[in-house]
Amino acid sequence: MSPYDWLLFLHVAGAFLLLGGTVLAGLFTFFAVRRERPSEVALLLGLIRIGVIAIMAGSLLTLVFGLWLVHEAGYGYGDGWIVAAIVLWVVGNAAGEAGGRRLDKTRTLAGELAAQGDAPSLELRARIRAPLPLVLSYGSGLVILTVLALMIWKPGA
Amino acid sequence: MLAAIRPDSWNFPLFLHVFGAIALFGGTASVAALGFAAQRRRDHAGVLARVGAWSWVFVVVPGWILMRAGAQWILSKEYPDSDKAPGWVDVGFIVSEPGAILLLVLGSLLWLSARRQGAGRAGAVMPWLAAIYVLALGAAMFAMSAKP
Repeated sequence: MSPYDWLLFLHVAGAFLLLGGTVLAGLFTFFAVRRERPSEVALLLGLIRIGVIAIMAGSLLTLVFGLWLVHEAGYGYGDGWIVAAIVLWVVGNAAGEAGGRRLDKTRTLAGELAAQGDAPSLELRARIRAPLPLVLSYGSGLVILTVLALMIWKPGA
Repeated sequence: MLAAIRPDSWNFPLFLHVFGAIALFGGTASVAALGFAAQRRRDHAGVLARVGAWSWVFVVVPGWILMRAGAQWILSKEYPDSDKAPGWVDVGFIVSEPGAILLLVLGSLLWLSARRQGAGRAGAVMPWLAAIYVLALGAAMFAMSAKP
């Protein structure tokens, strides 16, 4: 196997971790929004941490080996599709981090309510269904999916 | 070296194949995580089993269909004479086709586990089966990307 093959494998492995972790986080958020008992909401939102670890590892792998591949494959760092992919990578990660931080505060509230009798709460329902964290979290997934499309179509390459 | 550029007509089937594979990978990893969590949190095993079963229905199965259909579509373009396809293509078939049987077994275990509120042997076996399939998908991903 050539260096290019190894770099491509590590870059694609990063993409699988990044997007696979996003699928996991998106799924658990989707189901947490539909639960009423605080202990169930806290448990499902807590499981998102597994996805976050995959997303962090995948983000690092895609960026490092992606930039290395640009050099190895003979593309230019100023090519439009590469600049667009890096900008979207930053936007997607920033949106996911902002949405995740808000959902983590909701998880903390759910944990507190679970310890106080685990009764359904209007405050928790309003927090878990608030549009901003959901738009940020699901939106970051769509942005990262757009990066995948750019990697496949390579417009202008 | 300058990386080889694919014909434009290959891009959409490749996107479908990769998108399906990622959904399958993330969905199966979610099922494994839910199953292992259910073993540690018996008080919530029922809800975790139901979430796992719905994840199988809405993400794992559609992911497998997209991955497999995309694979067949791009194979027909890249290697119209499938007898001449290289060995790494066979790794994909080895993981995807027996993998479909494994996914059907996984779905049955999830259904049984959800019916029994996460209790019983189905709930104990299911996350290990899902974890094995995640590893197999990792091996297929290595073959598809590095093309050894």
